[in-house]
Amino acid sequence: MTEKFLFTAENKAKYAEYLTRYDDVESALLPVLHLAQEQNGWLSSAVVASISEMMNIPAIKIQQVISFYDMFYAHPMGKNIIQVCTNISCSMYGGRKLHGELLEHFQTENLQPTQDGQITIQKMECLGACEMAPCIRINNDYMGPITFESAVKKIKELS
Amino acid sequence: MTQDASSANYKDYTLLSYHHISDVHKLDIFSKAGGYETMKKCFAMGPETIKEEVKGSGLRGRGGAGFPTGVKWGFFSKDRTQKKYLVCNADESEPGTFKDRYLVEKCPHLLIEGMIISAWALGVDKGYIYIRGEFYHQAKILEEAIQEAYSAGYLGHNICGQDFKFDLYVHRGAGAYICGEETGLLSSLEGKKGQPKLKPPFPAIKGYRGYPTMINNVESLAAIPWIMRFGAPAYKKWGTEKSAGTKLFSISGDVKKPGVIEVPLGIPLREIIEDYCGGVKGGNLKAVIPGGSSAPILTAAESMLATMDYEDIAARGSMLGSGAIIVLNDTRSMGEVLKWTLEFYHHESCGQCTPCREGTGWLDKIFKRAENGHGQASDIDLLDKVAANMRGRTICALADAAAMPTQGMIKAFRGELLTFIEGQGQEERGRKR
Repeated sequence: MTEKFLFTAENKAKYAEYLTRYDDVESALLPVLHLAQEQNGWLSSAVVASISEMMNIPAIKIQQVISFYDMFYAHPMGKNIIQVCTNISCSMYGGRKLHGELLEHFQTENLQPTQDGQITIQKMECLGACEMAPCIRINNDYMGPITFESAVKKIKELS
Repeated sequence: MTQDASSANYKDYTLLSYHHISDVHKLDIFSKAGGYETMKKCFAMGPETIKEEVKGSGLRGRGGAGFPTGVKWGFFSKDRTQKKYLVCNADESEPGTFKDRYLVEKCPHLLIEGMIISAWALGVDKGYIYIRGEFYHQAKILEEAIQEAYSAGYLGHNICGQDFKFDLYVHRGAGAYICGEETGLLSSLEGKKGQPKLKPPFPAIKGYRGYPTMINNVESLAAIPWIMRFGAPAYKKWGTEKSAGTKLFSISGDVKKPGVIEVPLGIPLREIIEDYCGGVKGGNLKAVIPGGSSAPILTAAESMLATMDYEDIAARGSMLGSGAIIVLNDTRSMGEVLKWTLEFYHHESCGQCTPCREGTGWLDKIFKRAENGHGQASDIDLLDKVAANMRGRTICALADAAAMPTQGMIKAFRGELLTFIEGQGQEERGRKR
């Protein structure tokens, strides 16, 4: 039996504020999903059930939305998300190689959490920072140009 | 340029006038440099005067389509009592593009000022800035700037003592290229999958939640304060007859100094590469993608003759797009570049139109098959045929955006592509032996 997902008091207030920004409830779904994911780490079926109830949106519709966007995760993620850009400019400067090397170094698969649950590495399309090629995003921070060695160092520094 | 200059540099720039000023993301510093002055003056003008000025400036949509902003505004309902929305497209996902990020992270108030003027001109009382999910910090910067603008009385009720209300919010996307397409953006804003909608009706008539919605790019909206301050004729002094004003270009790839520049439209591409970006890095120039990954590639010879305006690039069979320039030196493999491009479009197709869902899949699979040692000489014609069958057959332009660079690459580098596809096969076959 999965436990019910509840927003923290602080996030409950944020949720209420988000609803005031839009002229209908459904428009607040993306910000609400971002908020829930920040709190829970990923969007589990318990999270979906709870949001479905709160916003009166069918769970299946929420699941469709989650599956559509690369930054919403329907499976457990590592504590830290490492996104590696593999589009043209970044690949020209080794972005794809970097992605492969990081997977190998941390002995993990794309989008899977490492065994210690510390990180998940995600291959991304253009992150909009081509002047930093190759660029990665650790949680919400952009870094680049970055070498394999300095990326490993940055990742190891994460708690 | 000095870092502590307190006034904007309106002489050389329209969009980056304030960028040299330290901490200009703060309202007091932006205001001291002349920010929000134009907004105050605009309230004394009739909305129609503002719309005429924007139309007269020749400003064209800077998101990629290049449609005249003033004409787009002209399609919008003039009824000031009707429910309408203003949406800023800050999704910026076209590979190679990072200009809007550069604009908003340093100078968020310029966009907000542009949006307030636009909302006043268009008679809109609610607006959203749809920013791509990855730009988390930029969204925070915008939200803080919006809070400052509320505190100053520039947003909310009775703005500057006028009978005018405008509320503005930031809305974060969650990682989907298609949400930069304006109707895909609207679907996403409505809390749905970001699937584009059939046009017509265009968003200006029936948009967000079924109400008239004006969607403009960050750079277009940020150009409004300058145009209203100095007038359309001053703006038109920059650029060419049909491509007026200045534009931001994002330059990446094989140049010594990648980054964002603001230059008048019509500037030679050679000048951008050699003078602004320090020249080609790591080899000689081989080719340039002039307007993001959707734009067909230009050969070195074409690039040396090209000028960066909508007409010249279109005449060369490509497009200016969002102004994302990717420079490639002669060590680069065109097969790899196309392979990466097609993998991207396959991943980003929203899946609702068959020619796009299947077509982008096929294009990608042809390269994947070659990687696995099954490349064939006939693959080039197959790529061309699949691409040709995708064009003009879908709800939005993503299918065309995948097909155009494919056909462009075949036209410019057919021989190299063939060697690449066959060579990948041989390498794989060699390993298996």
